[in-house]
Amino acid sequence: MKKKLSIEGMHCASCATNIEKSLKKVSGVKEASVVLMLKKGTVECEDSVTDDEIKKAVARAGYKVTKIE
Amino acid sequence: MNEHHHEEPVEDSEIVSWKKKLIWSWIFTIPIAVLMLSERLFGFSILEMPYSSILILALGFPVVFIFGWDTIKGGVRGLVTFYFNMDSLIALGTMVAYLTGILAFTGIVADYSGVSAMIMAFFTTGKYVEALARGRASQEIRKLLELSAKNARVLRGNKEIEIPMDEVKVGDILVVKPGEKIPTDGVVIKGESSVDESMVTGESLPVDKIKGNNVIGATINQDGILYVKATKVGKDTFLAHIIELVEEAQGTKIPIQKLADKITSIFVPAILILATLTFLGWIFFSGDLSRSIGVGVAVLVIACPCALGLATPTALMVGSGMGAKRGILIRKGEAIQTMKEVKIIVFDKTGTITKGKPEVTDVKSLIPEKDLMVIAASLEKLSEHPIAKAIVNKTSVKTYKKVSAFKVLRGRGVEGKIGKDLIIIGNRTLMNERKINLGKLENSIEQFEEEGKTTMIVANNKKVIGAIAVADSLKDDSREAIRRLNSAGYKTVMITGDNERTAKAIARQVGISDVIANVLPEDKAKKVEELQRQGMVAFIGDGINDAPALKQSNVGIAMGTGTDIAIEAGDIVLARGSLIGVVQAINLSKATFAKIKQNLFWAFAYNVIAIPLAIAGVLHPVVAEIAMALSSVTVVTNANLLRNKKI
Repeated sequence: MKKKLSIEGMHCASCATNIEKSLKKVSGVKEASVVLMLKKGTVECEDSVTDDEIKKAVARAGYKVTKIE
Repeated sequence: MNEHHHEEPVEDSEIVSWKKKLIWSWIFTIPIAVLMLSERLFGFSILEMPYSSILILALGFPVVFIFGWDTIKGGVRGLVTFYFNMDSLIALGTMVAYLTGILAFTGIVADYSGVSAMIMAFFTTGKYVEALARGRASQEIRKLLELSAKNARVLRGNKEIEIPMDEVKVGDILVVKPGEKIPTDGVVIKGESSVDESMVTGESLPVDKIKGNNVIGATINQDGILYVKATKVGKDTFLAHIIELVEEAQGTKIPIQKLADKITSIFVPAILILATLTFLGWIFFSGDLSRSIGVGVAVLVIACPCALGLATPTALMVGSGMGAKRGILIRKGEAIQTMKEVKIIVFDKTGTITKGKPEVTDVKSLIPEKDLMVIAASLEKLSEHPIAKAIVNKTSVKTYKKVSAFKVLRGRGVEGKIGKDLIIIGNRTLMNERKINLGKLENSIEQFEEEGKTTMIVANNKKVIGAIAVADSLKDDSREAIRRLNSAGYKTVMITGDNERTAKAIARQVGISDVIANVLPEDKAKKVEELQRQGMVAFIGDGINDAPALKQSNVGIAMGTGTDIAIEAGDIVLARGSLIGVVQAINLSKATFAKIKQNLFWAFAYNVIAIPLAIAGVLHPVVAEIAMALSSVTVVTNANLLRNKKI
């Protein structure tokens, strides 16, 4: 499944790559892409991955998820 | 409707917050600068030591640790969790510099505390300017988000009531007065008007709308009252799709960006190591602790992954925004890189080069013409093909003959039985296949074909009884578009199911020299594949029948008119049906890609030159910070310059 994230707190290019790295470490996440310009990200993952896990992964890198669709 | 317009414009809050930090930082930093410079430039101190140092420490504290708190916090967290970002570099650089101000009292090291405040102030300034420029880069996209209507006037019983957009349901009747925005996608059920669709399709001329026509949400009704039945709301609307598409494109990675991304992801830790090594190296070789700290701090703050990381996405953002404004939707970022390599442009004929609305122009009949047309229309009525529709439209009878055993022979024609008679209607290929002799009609048919008309031959029990010529006129600017592509050096090719002669006639009219005729719809992809042996191919089609060919080509450009777009099919989607859009899409892709390359070059060049200079100790930390701030601002500003390019 595909989840769309709105992310707060990014302000540089390495922020985006940090979040991508952190998201990809979540088991079940196949692909993660974060766009600094839009403050958005997309995660491709198995259905078993919960929104909470995603939020935690983003928080681990130091940023906040404001919305998951 | 969609939730987009409830959101704050994306960049605003960020800009405001940087601006606040920026003003406060400078209020405290300017006095520091005066104190420091007076000492350096004029050789006397306004304040005696150690009061001057104490004052600088006091003034610098809020700049670094209060106005710069978000940066310090984020940076330290990055250092602790190993998710390094550029804040980590700034935080480390400023804190080390600030610390020297305290250590300076012991006399073991020179005082860099003033430098820490200046670094933070310039960093904040750079971030503010960068945020402004990034906001400008996404302005077109934000305008799209703001396009959607907020309210709609709905007919309930006989009453018109105004309700918020998210309460509008499919099937509601909307009343749209002159000058008003059409709230959502729908179909006109009453009224006549012209509608300005330029904001979503890029079509500059107003489009006439009468009963039965589709209208697009967010377009402006100009002169009459329209009663519109809502057919799509919320996330399903055309506008919502466009926005999703543009955002999706922004998320796709362009191959050329990969190296930059790889570097960005290891950039900060690499710099941390480099700065440490630099510091140790300087201590080892010079033994000057103060100097070594200064150089180390310069290395920390000069390095910035931002220019590298922003080079591609900002240019792509500006490019796709410029496209969206003109009805050119770049779906896959990769397409703009591939476009540069494209040598051959293949056009589908019907609906792409031509209007796709064929009309009957000539009828040659061996039986009374009316009888021929009734027979033809009775069969064609059962087909969905545009040519079939043209024949039915021409005939206009009330009662059709009963047809049994009807079959569509894809790409060739139709057959069916009227009573006991087997009727076959189709092209030359079909007649050859069934071994039906064209007999007396051969000459007329040939002449129709010479004129670029598609000819449907009617046979009754394997005997030809007539021929119906159908012509599909060229779109107004097809010829101009092809001329521009030819003169730009592209090989243009037309592909069609028509026979050779008809196809060549159309190609001649429009200025295309290469024709691939007699191609069944399902074989188009194969033909594209064959052409790919000669070079990269862009395929232009309507996206409905052509999906496989669009996919097979290196760059697939799907075109539609208004809401009838097969969005999923193309790498680039044209909202407007004009072939000039193809020329613009090609120009835009090339210009955007050139800008990306330029940006990446500068970003690499900056780091390759600046970092060694900092290591060599040539740059003062404050100068290093200014250079760093300028590097990312330059990249984003350069991306914005793409707008000056004429597309």
